[in-house]
Amino acid sequence: MKNIAIIGSGAGGLITSSKLSKDLSKEIKNGEVTITLFDKKREQEFQPGYLEVAFRGTDPSKIRRPVKKLVSPGVKMVYDNVEKVDLANRYVKTEGSSEKINFDYVIISTGSSPDYDQIDGLKQANMDFHTDAYNASLIYNRISSIKSGKIVVGIGGLPYKCPPSPNESAFMLHEHFRKKGIRDDVEIIYVTPFTRIYSAESINEVIEPMYERRDIESITAFNTDTVDAEKKEITSLEGETLKYDYLFLTPPHKPAGFLKGSDMSDEDGWVKVDKKDLHITTYDNGFAIGDTTNIPISKAGVEAHLEGIVVANNIVGEITGTGQKYKFTGRTQCSMETGFHKATFVVGTYDRPVEKIEPSTMNYMEKKVMEKIYWGSLHGHYEWLFKYHFKKDYFEE
Amino acid sequence: MTTLNVDSRGTACPGPITDLIRAYKKAQNGDLIVLVANDPGAVPDSKAWCERTRNEFVGSKEIENSFEITIRVTGKKA
Repeated sequence: MKNIAIIGSGAGGLITSSKLSKDLSKEIKNGEVTITLFDKKREQEFQPGYLEVAFRGTDPSKIRRPVKKLVSPGVKMVYDNVEKVDLANRYVKTEGSSEKINFDYVIISTGSSPDYDQIDGLKQANMDFHTDAYNASLIYNRISSIKSGKIVVGIGGLPYKCPPSPNESAFMLHEHFRKKGIRDDVEIIYVTPFTRIYSAESINEVIEPMYERRDIESITAFNTDTVDAEKKEITSLEGETLKYDYLFLTPPHKPAGFLKGSDMSDEDGWVKVDKKDLHITTYDNGFAIGDTTNIPISKAGVEAHLEGIVVANNIVGEITGTGQKYKFTGRTQCSMETGFHKATFVVGTYDRPVEKIEPSTMNYMEKKVMEKIYWGSLHGHYEWLFKYHFKKDYFEE
Repeated sequence: MTTLNVDSRGTACPGPITDLIRAYKKAQNGDLIVLVANDPGAVPDSKAWCERTRNEFVGSKEIENSFEITIRVTGKKA
């Protein structure tokens, strides 16, 4: 009997569990394998949809689904959060329970979430589109009433989820106020700790002229330190101050709480993994995928997806004895909406720098197709399409 | 004075500069940050970042196919 524990029912956990349950269906039926998915959440949200909720007023309920409809047959769902993973002794414990639940393999896919504690005053002053759909909807309520003033958006701290999203917020705000005919009355300022508007030079070359043409001011190398909600003022680590009327900064993110201080994590709690086969450093039966890891690439769903496929393949190879071993290529595929039905993509791998891709309507349509197939893709319905699309970047043999 | 060692080998842009900024957030004026990266872009990026944030780019040297970049933190407000 082999017990596989998967922690986290986000995109990574669901895709990995669906791949495992399909490829090991015979073993599950014969009682040779169990797959258990742990997460307290009863609903999941399509996180890239937060931008649409925040800046176009999409109803939050449209991007939510009950977890029970997303879990594939053959996977046992446990609606509890894990608070301890003991890799050496191969068991997990859920919150408030003393029961040791044994595993042969564990996959940690607990994601990341905004960490407001890193920046004094930010919580009181800011509205973000990274926490959840409800909070994103509050931004739309706010911008709907704005007639004039100074909006500051951008990157509040590192790391954060979905690298293009702060830029997208600037573009979508521009579109929103342009369509309302009051763009000239609204100042949009983008701040970033990087030295370019987009950290990768190739994409920066594409979007920097768009910022200029659209009169979106950018302040680079700005390291947000504190925010004063009463004075409506941000202060950088270097002591520069910036006034705002409305603040929609992307906060720095943190991993799940139980990971901080664990011997498998770095000092900030991100799990240390081999960047190609995703096993947790020094343990061959433990893996981490997606935002949870310390891999220095985008924290985004596509990473969790492709990493989950690699891990699932390799576990299936061990259990069935085929010995198949795949490696993650580091492929990124982050869409960046540039407004007015156009988008670009941030595409690269560990071995290939980010490509220069001009915004186009075709890219925007591709982004929209991804939104349409997202829920089905969690069940593995479109894996053939991803394999075709990513080609040699899908995984390395 | 503390020296913060940051190993960004195996990461490409924006990996090294991300690691540098995260280390900088934890550092104090007078501290040294020693960033090791094998992305050649890390050297000009770090130099530009130092100029913009008023930190001191002490220097860089090539060691075994990597670049060792030393930065003195001087830009933080008192």
